[in-house]
Amino acid sequence: MNAHVRRTFYLFVAGFVALVGMLAYWQVYARESLANNPENGLQTQRAIQTPRGLILAGDGETVLARSAKRQTPGGAVYDRVYPQGEAFANVVGYWSTKYGATGIEIGENSNLSGTAEPATLDGLINQMTGGPKPGNNVVLTLDPELQRVAQEAIASSATGRGAVVAVDPRNGEILAMVSSPSFDPNNIDQTFPELARDPDSPLINRAIQSLYPPGSTFKVITASAALEAGVSPSEHFVDDGTYELPGYTVHNFQGREYGRVTFTQALVFSINAIFARIAVERIGAEDLAQMAFDFGFDDSYDDFPLPVSASTLGAPPSEWTPGTTAQSAFGQGQVSSNAFEMALVAATIANDGEMMEPRIVREIRSPDGIILDKPTPSVRHDTLDAGAARTLNEMMQKVVTEGELTVAEIPGIEVAGKTGTAEAPPGAPHSWWITFAPADDPTIAVCAMVENGGRGDQAALPIADTVMEAYLKGRAG
Amino acid sequence: MTQRATSPMILALLITTLGFATLIFAQEPKSPPLIYGAYYAGTLFVLYLGVRLILPHSDVLLLPIVTLLTGIGLVMIYRLTYDVQGAENLATTQAVWILVGSGTMFFMVVFFRNYHRLFDYKYLFALIAVILIGLTFTPLGYEVNGARLWVDLGPVGFQPSEFARIALVIFYAGYLADKRDVLAATSRSFLGIQIPALKYFGPVALVWAASLGLLVFEKDLGSSLLFFALPLLMIYAATGRIAYVLLGALLFSIGSFVTYQLFEHVQLRVQSWLDPWQDPDGAGFQILQSIFNIADGGLTGTGLGAGFAQTIPEVETDFIFSAIASELGLLGATAVLLAFLAFVYRGIKISLLAEDEASKLLAYGLTAMFAIQTLVIVGGVTKAIPLTGITLPFVSYGGSSVVGNFILTALLLVISEQAGRREEEEILYEGGP
Repeated sequence: MNAHVRRTFYLFVAGFVALVGMLAYWQVYARESLANNPENGLQTQRAIQTPRGLILAGDGETVLARSAKRQTPGGAVYDRVYPQGEAFANVVGYWSTKYGATGIEIGENSNLSGTAEPATLDGLINQMTGGPKPGNNVVLTLDPELQRVAQEAIASSATGRGAVVAVDPRNGEILAMVSSPSFDPNNIDQTFPELARDPDSPLINRAIQSLYPPGSTFKVITASAALEAGVSPSEHFVDDGTYELPGYTVHNFQGREYGRVTFTQALVFSINAIFARIAVERIGAEDLAQMAFDFGFDDSYDDFPLPVSASTLGAPPSEWTPGTTAQSAFGQGQVSSNAFEMALVAATIANDGEMMEPRIVREIRSPDGIILDKPTPSVRHDTLDAGAARTLNEMMQKVVTEGELTVAEIPGIEVAGKTGTAEAPPGAPHSWWITFAPADDPTIAVCAMVENGGRGDQAALPIADTVMEAYLKGRAG
Repeated sequence: MTQRATSPMILALLITTLGFATLIFAQEPKSPPLIYGAYYAGTLFVLYLGVRLILPHSDVLLLPIVTLLTGIGLVMIYRLTYDVQGAENLATTQAVWILVGSGTMFFMVVFFRNYHRLFDYKYLFALIAVILIGLTFTPLGYEVNGARLWVDLGPVGFQPSEFARIALVIFYAGYLADKRDVLAATSRSFLGIQIPALKYFGPVALVWAASLGLLVFEKDLGSSLLFFALPLLMIYAATGRIAYVLLGALLFSIGSFVTYQLFEHVQLRVQSWLDPWQDPDGAGFQILQSIFNIADGGLTGTGLGAGFAQTIPEVETDFIFSAIASELGLLGATAVLLAFLAFVYRGIKISLLAEDEASKLLAYGLTAMFAIQTLVIVGGVTKAIPLTGITLPFVSYGGSSVVGNFILTALLLVISEQAGRREEEEILYEGGP
């Protein structure tokens, strides 16, 4: 009889093994797909029952996002509130259990939701005991006053569509990043369907997600490559208004002829024909492209917490015809970029050719205020040697002083800059202005871009100027 | 037989304490009267010492397993119902039931040491079992969640089937031990399978059919499955005749088909097992919530108190294992299953070492019942098999179930006492180690 008893015992053992197998199937193999099943409300329930961390502006005080407790019959739940509304919406993003999350809300989600690896002993004990895991606070680098000024300026521009990015060239901190039109992230659950249908796409962060031809602002990259190729600022070129290539002819903006000019003057007057000639005859496709890559083209800044569309030159330089090189030299053709990238280009020149890693998160703090993470400024790339950068800096100052851009001048402060008027048929051209100041020791670099805003000096320049002035005066006072 | 289990006992109580400490100190400051915890720990430890004193040769390793399982159950019931909005506090009630179960066990250990007398009343036990199940059809019985399983006994309701099944095991063990030889003898063979003489089957078949029939009409599928499989396993253990198993499989197929055709609630159960997604907010809701919660636990679990198992209807009874798997993860749930397997292993060992055939069959029957019950409910909540409402021994909330399983353990203990004594004598005579 014992043999029979034993035999059925093995049957029971097999049953238990099968159950462990079944559990492993659900808990390991099918876990992900079940968690994402639309019928599964557990993740949503978990998310709304835990307060997320704060998002704070660079002053460490201005609250950009917080979780507000609300009592319901099923227990306390938390709603996300954005006290600063539209001005910060495209950076902070929104957080919705219905429509997902964007911006810092998703980029720093593991910190904000408290699911990051525990960083303190308290956190570790909490995790092991399954205790509540309140989210960490995220402090951004944004200057709240500057952000508001930038948002107002871009929103009241000619088309109301565009972006402004301000960056501290010395450490790569993003001081302002705005996109217009913006949206109110409060009550996103109700407003989302309408916002998503809006033809002006307010949910898109134009500063980083959209790509536009950068036009003549790209000439600072071509100029950098030219300086490295041995072109001197005082070297003379003769302009007859066009530059002819097999199959493609470059024309100057508005068909002007400048005659005998220096390289500096070619930048000041933004002479396409001369830049095209220099690019084709002195620099070459490979070196021009390499310079753009060194400035951050073709890079989506994966360490940056917001999704950046990589600026691009189109086809690889090995496939370029001289026509492609000529067009690229003044930022048309297949070249496309955005305010974020072009602000970094300006900042790199301002920082003596050293490109700093762009940062928008200054520090992560635990709910008790303990600093958990504080990234230090780091050099991303040695793009230009200091001499070439200083030379270009001086050339860009002359763009303001000799280019009759008096509107860009700030009393008592040397300003450097470059306009861009990028053709965007069938609409009006995109208006660009990249700038930095004070030119001898720059503390801010700005790029303003107005979609279909017309000439660079008319739409974008005043916006960037307002932002820069607000920043420099704020610092002085 | 293991005669000392003080360390496992302390370990089991420590695990329970750790569970409570986690919930009380790490989750929220609200705590039940701690005196309940002290009663619980004290009672089980005194029970352990008492059993060792009264039954010095018994397999007391069963007690730390019982302590661990009731402890985990208590922690989970506390976590799921104490100070939870919309839930009635059941933890203190469960603690009281554990005390009652312990008292019953102690009583049995003292007064049923000569358990062989039970076999003299085997037909009475069969009658009691059928009457107990039949009670639910009297005006005393009432329905809960569509199954008529409950009997109103003044202050408390109880589920007679939890006790009837033990009475049935006693009957089957006694009868099969008597008739074992004639049942095993074969008179003819058919298609190479030897057909046993069926006439001695009468009483078993009668009790089997009666208990099963009543349960089917009560709509208690879990118990039906248990009452169906148990005698088959016991007959196989007694006779070793595979023919009985084949016969059982055949009957099971016919029975399943007939009940599926006859009863709408059976069809519903099978359909929501095969395709719960068809009606995720209705028939499939419970099993889907169970699966979602189990999956949510992952390898290491969400941590005690951090899961959402309250979303499963009936979580503190039938679905308590889903809550364990959710909050303790695959590792914790496997550990709990191993504790169940350890209990089954001790039970089988007691059966193997037991002196006479009736004792062997009784120990085996009780153990097999325990094992099937665990496999059926855990298989049900993990969607391995169709869900049938049945409690997880010692862990699920429920007085009848807890007390019933304490009685089951008490019987195993008294059987092991005799086996242990015999083992010791053999060693003495043979001079072995």
